[in-house]
Amino acid sequence: MIRTGALAIVALAFAHGPALAQMRAPPASEAACEEPTLRCATKATPAFGPDGTLWLVWMAGGQVSVASSHDEGRSFSAPTQVTTKRLNLDWGPDARPKIVVDRKGGIALAFSTFRDEAFNGEVFYTRSADGGKSFAEPKPITANKESQRFEALALDQDGTVFAAWLDKRNRIFAKEAGQKYEGAGLFFTSSSDGGTTYAEAKLAREGTCECCRLGLAFAAPGRPVAIFRNIFEGGVRDHAVMTFTDIATPGEVRRVSHDDWQINACPHHGPSLTVAPNGTYHVVWYTNGKARKGLFYAHSRDEGRTFSAPMALGQPGRNPTRPYVLAGPKGTVIAWKEFDGERTSVHVATSRDDGETWSPPRTISNTTDTSDHPLLVSNGGQVYLSWMTKADGYRLIAIEDQP
Amino acid sequence: MRFRFAAMLGLGVLIASAAALGASPVLKPFERGTWQSVLKGHSGRPTLVHFWGVTCGPCKVELPLLGRFAKDHPEIDVVTISADLVPNLPAATQSMLDKAGLSSTENFVFNDGFAERLRFEIDPAWQGDIPRTMLISREGAVTTIEGSAEMADLEKWSAQQLSKH
Repeated sequence: MIRTGALAIVALAFAHGPALAQMRAPPASEAACEEPTLRCATKATPAFGPDGTLWLVWMAGGQVSVASSHDEGRSFSAPTQVTTKRLNLDWGPDARPKIVVDRKGGIALAFSTFRDEAFNGEVFYTRSADGGKSFAEPKPITANKESQRFEALALDQDGTVFAAWLDKRNRIFAKEAGQKYEGAGLFFTSSSDGGTTYAEAKLAREGTCECCRLGLAFAAPGRPVAIFRNIFEGGVRDHAVMTFTDIATPGEVRRVSHDDWQINACPHHGPSLTVAPNGTYHVVWYTNGKARKGLFYAHSRDEGRTFSAPMALGQPGRNPTRPYVLAGPKGTVIAWKEFDGERTSVHVATSRDDGETWSPPRTISNTTDTSDHPLLVSNGGQVYLSWMTKADGYRLIAIEDQP
Repeated sequence: MRFRFAAMLGLGVLIASAAALGASPVLKPFERGTWQSVLKGHSGRPTLVHFWGVTCGPCKVELPLLGRFAKDHPEIDVVTISADLVPNLPAATQSMLDKAGLSSTENFVFNDGFAERLRFEIDPAWQGDIPRTMLISREGAVTTIEGSAEMADLEKWSAQQLSKH
């Protein structure tokens, strides 16, 4: 895609700027500090346990740690270190550790590392059976050593843990056959013992975009649904959903929208998906396609066969990014970030009629330095924004009901 | 000469040393205000600015092609900016530039933990997708190529720049 415009070259006075900048060369970091503590985290992922305890997994100082909070994130327990040594954790913009907490309080985690200098990834999993006091030694989720990244976890009603990720194992066969290999494969597995062991990995779909996060939920018991940036014909990287027939059987690829984003690049900007109790799929995504540009929302009431017309989110001049959607007990909530050149703000919109109409967006938090993606999490009664910021630390903010 | 560093601290030491010796720094930190100084520094010259990153698959394919383009077109200023999010990796970045034949171009690496802010200075609509190439004419007109550039498009633009003068 080529776009042309005029650029006003402003001759600013930088008499000493570049030289001083080079001399200083401060170590740039997204992290506030380098210890494995929450304050130093760059990515933090929440989940509520069955008793209302908030669990948080984060990456900081090359380690993965977990802690819990009984007061809505105001204070946390002493962290449990999941990893025992500093690792080259996947720091890609859309990578983060994952957590699900089952009805018995078992905690399943997954995270990825860069395992070589070519930035090939490896997905690890672990589990705590003692309420987060300790975690089993992390193990690779698949024996294959090619490259896996962007894992996602979802918990079924019966405690089955479903995992999906992007996997490049089949590129070696393409190379041997002299064929071009584009993107990555969507692979999946599941665990019937709460994340202690996982079944053999299986391919759901080859030719998906290789550098965006996945969205994962359950359409119904035993039927996972994933949203991912697919590579459609002609290198068009638009979004698709796949509803599994059962826990081990992939379904067909169903297109979310025709954005027509033909690009051979890493957008680093994946979608989000939630399924309401009545089965409605709510999805949000980013595109820079010919048909539309920016953040969008749509819903499907027929398991992804058809979607509503995309609804734009955010102010175009404020660079809206990182959309997240969650169907909560009182309605559906969308959160995203905007940036005005100095300050990042998180905005939310809510719907009480299953996505037909939405409240005007409102700002619920902001920060003046770098920040993690805004995430939404529910304890069954209330939806919260979960947001890690460099300047202001971790925030858990209740999203009030809309009129 | 090939440098390898373990951390940004190493980069800082090298740049400081290079500056002291009067030599061109190998990798320059790209910080707030750097974009305007790049534009100012190349004002009046046709300039190709390439944004890429070490973890970006399509970038790995494109970078050597760009290295060849730079070699074949000394009349075009080529600037590369590693725009991966931090931790930026100077050793890996330099290694890939060396292999692509881009050791002697003006090469930057993002050096601000607040990458959104750097991107906003360059193009408020840019959300960080890489590779990305900006072609800046002598007059300051910018053509942005999102995703991998077709070398034929670069050749065409280059020829247009030369034909004007």
